[in-house]
Amino acid sequence: MVLSDLGKRLGAVMSDLGRSNVVDEQAFDALLKEVCSALLESDVNVKLVSNLRKSIKSKVNLKDLAAGVNRKRLIQKTIFDELVALVDAGVEPYRPKKGHPNVIMFVGLQGSGKTTSCTKLALHYQRKGFKSCLVCADTFRAGAFDQLKQNATKARIPYFGSYTETDPVRISREGVEKFKKEKFEVIIVDTSGRHRQEKELFAEMVQISEAVKPDQTIMVLDASIGQAAESQSKAFKESADFGSIIITKMDGHAKGGGAISAVAATNTPIAFIGTGEHMHDLETFAPQSFVSKLMGMGDMQGLFEH
Amino acid sequence: AFGYLQGFIGGKTLTSEDLAPALASMQEHLLKKNVAKPVATHLVDSVEKSLVNTTTKSFESIQAAVNGATEQALKRILTPGVGLDLLREISRVNKEKRPYTISFIGVNGVGKSTNLSKVAFWLLQNKLRILVAACDTFRSGAVEQLRVHVKNLTKLSERSGGAVELFERGYGKDAAAIAKDAISYAAQNNFDVVLIDTAGRRHNDARLMSSLEKFAQLARPDKIFMVGEALVGTDSVAQARNFSDALGAGRKLDGFVISKVDTVGDMVGTLVSMVYSTGVPVVFVGVGQMYTDLRVLSVGWAVKMLMDK
Ligand SMILES: Nc1nc2c(ncn2[C@@H]2O[C@H](COP(=O)(O)OP(=O)(O)OP(=O)(O)O)[C@@H](O)[C@H]2O)c(=O)[nH]1
Ligand SMILES: Nc1nc2c(ncn2[C@@H]2O[C@H](COP(=O)(O)OP(=O)(O)OP(=O)(O)O)[C@@H](O)[C@H]2O)c(=O)[nH]1
Ligand SMILES: [Mg+2]
Ligand SMILES: [Mg+2]
Repeated sequence: MVLSDLGKRLGAVMSDLGRSNVVDEQAFDALLKEVCSALLESDVNVKLVSNLRKSIKSKVNLKDLAAGVNRKRLIQKTIFDELVALVDAGVEPYRPKKGHPNVIMFVGLQGSGKTTSCTKLALHYQRKGFKSCLVCADTFRAGAFDQLKQNATKARIPYFGSYTETDPVRISREGVEKFKKEKFEVIIVDTSGRHRQEKELFAEMVQISEAVKPDQTIMVLDASIGQAAESQSKAFKESADFGSIIITKMDGHAKGGGAISAVAATNTPIAFIGTGEHMHDLETFAPQSFVSKLMGMGDMQGLFEH
Repeated sequence: AFGYLQGFIGGKTLTSEDLAPALASMQEHLLKKNVAKPVATHLVDSVEKSLVNTTTKSFESIQAAVNGATEQALKRILTPGVGLDLLREISRVNKEKRPYTISFIGVNGVGKSTNLSKVAFWLLQNKLRILVAACDTFRSGAVEQLRVHVKNLTKLSERSGGAVELFERGYGKDAAAIAKDAISYAAQNNFDVVLIDTAGRRHNDARLMSSLEKFAQLARPDKIFMVGEALVGTDSVAQARNFSDALGAGRKLDGFVISKVDTVGDMVGTLVSMVYSTGVPVVFVGVGQMYTDLRVLSVGWAVKMLMDK
């Protein structure tokens, strides 16, 4: 499961801490080093890890601790809080409203899992009673419309797209207008993959956004992304101003640390994670329980006053 | 800058303690370039070994010595042991009256189908007759994606010579069987090269990975290239190893295609991670979504990107 290796390592660090009798400066440093090393191996942004280390050090501050303070508890809680802060933007992701046309636009790097996740999300809302549909505004990638069409057909979700129209702005506008007239409640717009170095494609994304006026834009990130996550997600934030993140391919071996770093870089919450290629493989994301699992301390959360 | 301000200390015999700070900053530098942590650690350890007990040149700082040794190490890692002249190999195999076969494997969404099409374009420019075998029978739209590419490539190659056709059996069927059929079809119909697309698979999915061994045995492609994307972080190591090990005894990966290099700027560490952890060379790099966006790796360029501050 998600981040399992990182979880195991952090879990081991925590139980070591539980066993040792004294927690002196040296033991604390060794522990911090282990935590940071585990985070780096999970692709968490290098600068972020170094800030996290400083922050934990200054918050725990062993030298000036009053006698009687439970050092282990304090260290554990501080690490827990810092990790939660890492994946928790402190903002709630958008919730579609019933009886209202909620337009959701997908953006992201090439091959990150947008088209697959679009159908998953449409299905997710459909099962919650929203009248959902899909618009294919990817006129670039070969076979993109067929892909969306086949997925939508399997999931029994109405869709809109074109084999001949090459302008994604036009298609997305037409599709969204059509579905609004037909009183759809969740209208999901899939777009082509792109990256920050492609200026024109970024401009195109802004135009699509202006045409469909999304209530929510979602950036899709692959769990295996490394250090490029920060600069790419920042650039997408500036141009597309996405309001939430979906991390895909969490069923893989990758630990998702790069994608998590995008949360800090853009102050945007993770709304869902993708856990497989099939249309039901989507889970909602909760930062606290995520980190609890990560640190192998599912039942310890109650010990801290949150 | 890498500590150029630390001053020159030429002529010093280096100890581990002397080297530690410079090595630590090199390690962090490599991590920022998206070299996977275990690979960066090994690399820096090997640099340490190569420098301990040596003497710095006059007017050289410790950092400069570390930089120099790292640069050499990177160059060594990325330079392939033997060159691969695909065109010559193809022509040799064609003389045996059989088509040359290349298959593309890798995790989901890395660029297998797109880079296969770029390779097809390049081979078409060399007037070869190409059969594209649609052996991703799982992902929605995978067959249609290749059909569009083949249609585009047919148009593009009208003038240059060469020919390209799609071999497909729809969805849900066994990939290895389709590949085998495609190869016999190609042999009967005078194709020079068969390019085999496969479905993306997670390298931690034992079932999907084990079907690769069967695929390699049944289709017996001349070359198996793994596509890996430059965007991927630490997972690059496990991806490369698991795919390399999945092909069965006596069959290794023949090369990497590292795609999406245009998306990472100078963070090209994935190149190092994948090659270092398997010894498999990079045959092509993908630098965009167009048919012409395929390059052979320039080691000098990659090392410069990696060393750049
Ligand atoms: N294992 C796994 N695979 C996934 C997941 N989400 C998507 N994929 C696979 O990732 C690959 C790429 O997914 P797409 O949905 O086509 O990605 P995209 O972002 O639309 O790609 P472009 O439109 O080309 O930019 C496909 O093979 C999907 O089946 C997931 O959560 N887990
Ligand atoms: N920027 C950039 N994009 C690329 C490159 N190579 C492929 N892509 C894009 O990456 C996305 C996925 O490419 P595909 O060829 O469909 O990937 P795949 O590995 O076949 O995907 P699955 O079959 O779903 O596993 C598409 O949007 C491609 O256009 C590259 O070198 N640079
Ligand atoms: Mg797509
Ligand atoms: Mg493909």
